Amino acid sequence: MEAVLLRARGVADSRAITTYLAAGGYEGWKKALSMTPEAVTQVVIDSELRGRGGAGFPTGRKWSFVPKDHPGPRYLICNADESEPGTFKDREIIEYDPHQVVEGVAIASYAIKAATAYIYIRGEFVRWANILEEAIAEARARGFLGRNILGSGADLDIWVHRGAGAYICGEETALIESIEGKRGFPRLKPPFPAVVGVFGKPTVVNNVETLACVPHIMTRGAAWFASIGRPRNTGPKLFCVSGHVNRPGVYELPLGVTFREIIYEHCGGIRGGRKLKAFFPGGTSAPIMTGGEVDVQADFDACAQAGTMLGSGGIIVLDETADMVDVADNVAHFYAHESCGQCTPCREGSDWCMDILDRMLAGHARPGDPDTLLRICRFSSAGMTICPLGDAYALPISSIVNKFRPEFEARIVAAAPLAQKKLPVLPWAGPRPGFGV
Amino acid sequence: MPKLTIDGRTVEVASGTNLIEAARAAGVEIPYFCYHPYLTVVGQCRICMVEIEGQPRLAIACATPAAEGMVVKSETSERTREAREAVMEFLLANHPLDCPVCDQAGECLLQDHSMEEQRATFTTHMAETRRTFPGYERRLIGPHVVQNQNRCIHCSRCIRFTQEISETAALTYKSRGNSAFIDTFDGKPFQDPMSGCAADVCPVGALTVREFRFHKRAWKLRSTPSVCPGCSIGCNIFIEHHERTVYRFTPRENPAVNATWLCDHGRFLAESLNAQAYLHPQRRAEGHLVRSGWGEAISAVARALKAARSLRVVASANLSNEELFLARELFGRHLKGELAVPLFAGEPRRMKNGKREWAASTDAHPNSAGARRLGLPVVDAAGLSRFLYGAADVTIVLDPTAHPFLASQEALQLLRVGPSIAFVRSQHPVADVAGWLLPTPSLASNEGTFTSSLGVVQRFAPAFAPPGGVRRTATGAMSPECPTIASPWGPPGEARPLWLVLTALARELGAHALDLASPAEAFHLMVKAEKGFAGLEWEALGGLKEAESHRERRNVG
Repeated sequence: MEAVLLRARGVADSRAITTYLAAGGYEGWKKALSMTPEAVTQVVIDSELRGRGGAGFPTGRKWSFVPKDHPGPRYLICNADESEPGTFKDREIIEYDPHQVVEGVAIASYAIKAATAYIYIRGEFVRWANILEEAIAEARARGFLGRNILGSGADLDIWVHRGAGAYICGEETALIESIEGKRGFPRLKPPFPAVVGVFGKPTVVNNVETLACVPHIMTRGAAWFASIGRPRNTGPKLFCVSGHVNRPGVYELPLGVTFREIIYEHCGGIRGGRKLKAFFPGGTSAPIMTGGEVDVQADFDACAQAGTMLGSGGIIVLDETADMVDVADNVAHFYAHESCGQCTPCREGSDWCMDILDRMLAGHARPGDPDTLLRICRFSSAGMTICPLGDAYALPISSIVNKFRPEFEARIVAAAPLAQKKLPVLPWAGPRPGFGV
Repeated sequence: MPKLTIDGRTVEVASGTNLIEAARAAGVEIPYFCYHPYLTVVGQCRICMVEIEGQPRLAIACATPAAEGMVVKSETSERTREAREAVMEFLLANHPLDCPVCDQAGECLLQDHSMEEQRATFTTHMAETRRTFPGYERRLIGPHVVQNQNRCIHCSRCIRFTQEISETAALTYKSRGNSAFIDTFDGKPFQDPMSGCAADVCPVGALTVREFRFHKRAWKLRSTPSVCPGCSIGCNIFIEHHERTVYRFTPRENPAVNATWLCDHGRFLAESLNAQAYLHPQRRAEGHLVRSGWGEAISAVARALKAARSLRVVASANLSNEELFLARELFGRHLKGELAVPLFAGEPRRMKNGKREWAASTDAHPNSAGARRLGLPVVDAAGLSRFLYGAADVTIVLDPTAHPFLASQEALQLLRVGPSIAFVRSQHPVADVAGWLLPTPSLASNEGTFTSSLGVVQRFAPAFAPPGGVRRTATGAMSPECPTIASPWGPPGEARPLWLVLTALARELGAHALDLASPAEAFHLMVKAEKGFAGLEWEALGGLKEAESHRERRNVG
């Protein structure tokens, strides 16, 4: 497949607006400005573009949820808070082709009639936040942003908002709270952000990769985009492959390619010729898949059918040397650290899972531990929590326990009982007890 | 007006009502910790999960508005029961098992839920070391509130209270996830005019009130509905008492006045109700106070009043409507005396009602509106001074705390001039000059109504008999002819509520229309005589029965 989103990778001075314009940049923006917002939304609906942030919700439909008759301002937010473990695609897009994102933000803002857009970028991405700010300044200097853009009457300001390094702020309502200057606590839904979002106004939150697809859809047409991949799962997708493969990195492939092709053809197979044991298909919050499930197609529907999810496309490959208890513990540590602490099951459950897995790793597993883990996970997911972070730790951990239960049982068999804690007996320091005291 | 079914009971509620309130209306209790009727809904605790027919996932009742035809299953659903059990397990995983030494025990929502709704067979799967917050187990975060973070269940009610109700935003979360804890913003002391409410809304023992901690077990307390005497707003309270000792005030729900809030000033007046410096009628003979009896006192005072050519009465806006009415009728109309109600500006107080509207008061008296409504002359410090400078044969002070001027040397000099009669409770310099000292009990032993500055007439009930053992009659009134046996529950003494003394005086003075048996009778008489009170009914002024349980009392569960 020809490179679309990563076409600038390897091109000299690829970040400059001149390079971007030479490659046909901002044509989509000009085209969008000549159309009505509704028509732009319709093009995106026709392209069947689905959100690349993890949930895979149809982007055009999300835009169309913004109330048509809302009188006040609306906002577009580009979610660049890329913090899912094993995901590093948005950074790659911004590194090589930031104008793609700026143009995508502009078109999406136009489609929902927003005059202000925010790019919420995680605080650790200092370099990429600077790159975006430079790109926005360049675009503004060329008249692609600002007041009465290219004589169309449309206004748009884009602000880069830096987060403070919380995973939860990648969740759209927590992100909105964070932009408002509050603690990153996810909101109760409904109302959904498309109705009540940032500053109480209709807001659309889209991932960087999603918005980067939009300029291409505008210039090349919805039919072209829909021809990539397979029906309902259209377009190019960035896969970030990490772990025990020979050539880790970001790969742009059409949706619907199998994980086998990604791992064995594009990434050169497992390191040292070892066997594939398991892999996370879309970041650690997606349920794990075993080596035997490698022929599943990497797209939203096929993954859902296989009981997992494509998520952000962060594929983490584990070879046969991986200790699955250790993997589960690693996952648990991340989510216990990143749980916001707002609702009960996630706050208590993530930490509890971590404690159990830590103890198992330390060689003190108990017979009931796998079942306790499954119980905690069961009651932390499927609507028990405000936001999907409960599912994000519950589903991978329960899938690891279910699919690799013998490893957990082996830990129990080999376990040493926990050493009895003895209270220290301190020497008596007071007056000598005895008669006559 | 959606009509829905909850656990098989059909109920019709106002649109916008959430399922917790709808279930309450239907007589079904849905448990909750983070929900509070007067705070925003956050859906954090997840215990109020219910099953709604046609929805694949369980929903939280607090954030789900009732809809037409909804079929909700709470206790009848196995899935709901399992989910709630799991949430309880999560909450108890890190909650200390220190109920025996926790001051919240007995009025703890977590404890209640654990006792009432968890099945006896339930055991926890938790085998790890509990989360603790070293250094945060007994932390005085402000002048009145003690924090024990180990017990916190992260419901965020206290945070929402300071953000939405007291508007100080003094409390906040710090840290994240399992190590998140409640702290004051910026580490400053929790200075909040309503800081006690943060402890009230706390469903567990994480925040407790310093002044009440370890003074009395919650289940020993009885709660008598009353009205806060702290200012003219007239917040509804419960007087919580045990064995004739008042331990605390807690807010009583009234959406029109104070929702479920109470300011610290009012809350910490509770202790002052226990002061009873004067237990017997006393008369001054040759400069010394001599103990007397009520019979002698009443007849002597009546004799003095009959003999007096002129009479002046310093009334008080701290007295009930009935007492002011009786005083006006007896001293003003019957004896042709002169009355004055001194008022002074107190510190500004404010209170938020159920609609989150502030009411403000700079009036330190609970019943100045009642005094005005009865047409009594209201005076300030200068007016009171002028009033006392005027000549009179006898001066009666109905309440020496009515105005600080009464404690001044100037006022005492003026009161020394002629014979004076003072009704006293706590220590006051007026007692050093008055010819007769007649002891009155506190608000906790009185009964009557106050008129608040919002114009509402509110009734308060007697919590216990005044010191000296006046028995309560079936109607709740104090029986005057009770023997003065020393009570095992209070200091022996013979303090009598003012209204009772006034009716006895009326009998002695021949004003038989005022010879009444209870404040209720005085109220009826007042309603008939006064246009300002026309149409009011004693029984209708609040269903004044004692709170049956702490849940009812605290109106949070």
